[in-house]
Amino acid sequence: VTAPLEADVLVVGGGMAGAVAALAAREAGARVVLVRRSPGATALSSGAVGVAPGAAGRDAPLAALRGPVEAAQAHALRHPDHPYAVVGAALGALPEALAFAARALPLLVPALDRPRVLATPLGGAAAAALCQRSQASGDLLAARGPVAVCGFRGHLAFDAGLVAAGLARTARRGGPEAFAVEVDLPFDDPAARPHELARGLDAPGAAERLGEAVGAALRGRGAGVALMAPVLGLDGAARAAERVAAAAGLAVAETLSDVPSVPGLRLQAALEAALRAGGVEVVTGALAGPAIPGALVEVAGRVIRARAWVLASGRYVGGGLARRGTLREPALGLAVQAAEGREAGVHLALRPAASLTVRDRRAPQPLLSAGLRVDARLRPLDDGGRPVHPRLLAAGAVVGGHEQATDGTGLGVAILTGWLAGRAAAGGIA
Amino acid sequence: MDYDVIIVGGGVNGTGTARDCAMRGLRVLLLEKADFGVGASGNSSGMIHGGIRYMLSDRHVTELACRDSGYIQRIAPHLLFRIPFLMPFASRKEGATLREKAVFYATEVYVGTYDLYQPLKRGKPSTRLDAEELYALEPGLRPGLHGAVTLDEWGIDAFRLCLLNALAARGHGAELRTWTEARRLLVEGGRVRGVRWRDALTGEEGEARAPVVFNASGAWSPAFARRAGAEVPMRPGKGVHLTLDRRYSSYGVICSAVDGRQMFLMPHENESIIGTTDDDYYGDPDDLEATHDEVEYLVEGVASLVPGVRDARVTRAWCGLRTTLYAYGPTEDALSREHQLLDGAGDGVAGLLSLIGGKLASYRAQSQEATDRIEQLLGRPVTPCRTHEVPLPGGDEVPDPVALAREFPVAPPVAARLVYRHGSRSREILAMVREDPRLGLVLCRDEAILAAEVVYCCRREEVRRLQDLRRRCRLAVGGCGGLDCARVGAQLAGRTLSWTADQVHAELADLLDQGWRDRRPVLDGAQLAQEELLRGAHGLSELT
Repeated sequence: VTAPLEADVLVVGGGMAGAVAALAAREAGARVVLVRRSPGATALSSGAVGVAPGAAGRDAPLAALRGPVEAAQAHALRHPDHPYAVVGAALGALPEALAFAARALPLLVPALDRPRVLATPLGGAAAAALCQRSQASGDLLAARGPVAVCGFRGHLAFDAGLVAAGLARTARRGGPEAFAVEVDLPFDDPAARPHELARGLDAPGAAERLGEAVGAALRGRGAGVALMAPVLGLDGAARAAERVAAAAGLAVAETLSDVPSVPGLRLQAALEAALRAGGVEVVTGALAGPAIPGALVEVAGRVIRARAWVLASGRYVGGGLARRGTLREPALGLAVQAAEGREAGVHLALRPAASLTVRDRRAPQPLLSAGLRVDARLRPLDDGGRPVHPRLLAAGAVVGGHEQATDGTGLGVAILTGWLAGRAAAGGIA
Repeated sequence: MDYDVIIVGGGVNGTGTARDCAMRGLRVLLLEKADFGVGASGNSSGMIHGGIRYMLSDRHVTELACRDSGYIQRIAPHLLFRIPFLMPFASRKEGATLREKAVFYATEVYVGTYDLYQPLKRGKPSTRLDAEELYALEPGLRPGLHGAVTLDEWGIDAFRLCLLNALAARGHGAELRTWTEARRLLVEGGRVRGVRWRDALTGEEGEARAPVVFNASGAWSPAFARRAGAEVPMRPGKGVHLTLDRRYSSYGVICSAVDGRQMFLMPHENESIIGTTDDDYYGDPDDLEATHDEVEYLVEGVASLVPGVRDARVTRAWCGLRTTLYAYGPTEDALSREHQLLDGAGDGVAGLLSLIGGKLASYRAQSQEATDRIEQLLGRPVTPCRTHEVPLPGGDEVPDPVALAREFPVAPPVAARLVYRHGSRSREILAMVREDPRLGLVLCRDEAILAAEVVYCCRREEVRRLQDLRRRCRLAVGGCGGLDCARVGAQLAGRTLSWTADQVHAELADLLDQGWRDRRPVLDGAQLAQEELLRGAHGLSELT
């Protein structure tokens, strides 16, 4: 029998919220164990960090978009159930939390006072606070000269013409002009899927050949940046996007991604690397049975004891929440009682799925924004409204009241609440 | 007059009649307010069954259905698949009571009588199974069953059946207009003169003139006829089905619902289907949605025999309206499944012919009868019907998928799905892949949708909206709800049909709206996680 793994903080969940919580607790001097069943849902994200939509109105100029912090504050005012509103004054720590995440994850570029406006693979635009280095030159507010959308000849999954036509709509709001070109892939695989293309470009010489083709196709066309499908390398260390740019002799950027997401996979890999570098002990496995902070828990045969816990187990994709007739928080059996909007009602967890959704797909859906209710210090509340345990905290998508996959605040909430919860859990140790 | 007959409604009766009329040389215009089969036809159980349910009340319906099932196999062999059903002998307690044993015996005799009709549709005769044989075939059935009797039926993709009839009609000169609503009848001096229509996509309006209007608009037909002062008495019944993400059993299983109604779980194409409810419906046919109660009722009914279905993943709930003949008194299930042709002359609208009731399996015979009447209304001699002999498009040959996969650069499972949907026309689609290997991209791994198939459907199969591809090649209807295929499908359709970027965005949003409507009542378990992923992937957080 091995001795229990003793730690100050146990983090449950290996996505953005859990990793930031673990790293923040480490920075505060705590010994941290992170338990996770599998890589988090962060691997399925667009690859950039949206903090808040910062909408300025349908036809308003892009330059009028609010910066991340201001946008988050405005979002909190309009959405009283949202974690940004629930944490109260602690929302003011958002810039610090974002700076912390950008330091911990070297593939990200730090936040600016204004949002970055990044293209989607369908030619739309979305606001992001942080983004990957491979996405940064695609910021429509920073492009110097027209955007050349480069498709791969022979590859149907990314339609450069459509992306350019979509961006032309943004041009009316002060975005750059856009045009489309096609370049040859440096290898022959017309029906390849995104991760296969990305792996192909990691190979020595492939990114360089692609860059030369991009450079040749755009010579003399005055392009400010070449915008490409989000497949520029799976291995962050291979720096495929930078190699393409160097060979092209021009700035190169990826669009945001849908699923499967190569940038999302890179982001997840960066989290893993940061956890290793930060000295966080990572244990892969599921919590066996409910327990409370301070008690011994067993995960994959290891016995762990920590005085404070951070639950950052995600929403439905992450597995932090599940529904089988009723809504449950499977790891600790906590009450699911927060969701956005009045439709949610008090018996949220017991209500039929159809009554927790509304007909308009694009409207907020209480079923998709369900999660734990927490107090301003991120302690989950029981059904009587009292904290379940003084040293049990929650972070990220397991906290309800926001639809993290769609409202443009998902990873922003993960970083803010992860950072706050990690520091609070480590509080009084150092 | 522009046409001999204007057909209102692109369900199986409208398209079937359009085909028959066109084959007999009539000038036909078909108007469909949405897309082929979106009403009762496509939302039926998808079976070309012989109507064993109706053997006691309408034996005539059973025989008609069996005979026509045989014809449909002849004209669309690629589109039909055999579904062997089990009717398990279940008792509520251990050991069957005398009364239950009598019911088992009666069932055997009943199914045995149905065997008389089976040869008409190449059905296999029924077999009596003892308990051991039953559990060997379907180990997932609950313990304590006493055996079963088998029953052979046929399944079909009903959306494609409607489409193939429409394409056949087009091939014989008929004009097809989908997403075009017949707004009102033009009536002069007590006679039909045509129809005023409106194109829902372009807003274009116009008049088409014909001496006969065939109203085959299903649940919408009473309202359409009433606008011209004609009555179409109908008792619409709502039928809800659930789809499971995979083939959950190898055999169809007949179950008994909590109220004793008969229902089923059956494998269908790549999925399983649970059906069905039957309830009077008084609302607007356009507002039809499955409710939580209906979903629970169906799952509970199947779980009584197949307990594991509680853990299955329900991917959608979908519904249609049976256009049953009006009768006051009988329960929904006891209503006649017969069909009826109503002549508007009695209501002062001569030349209007409305069809109500009937079964998917008998559509061809119903269409033949309607076409005979249309010829009579036109004052012409009734000419021979050949719709039971001439193959539907792609139905002339069923190529071997394995051989196709050797001949063309696709995997055998992809070729198999393609052959199922397109029959002999798969060769044309695969030739596109050979010419342009890019079109060999498989958009959806569930349904094996090739990029070439999307392009082909857009070019040749009357696609006007992206959501039409749900019904042509099952784009975004699988368990993933379009996670993989929706964006790329929209790009391909947009390129093929020369849509603007705004149109591509709008069509993609509309496609996802359709899926959301089907999934709302069933979001649970893994399907709920899938929904979260789908919503995240499809850019709802974009700047507006």
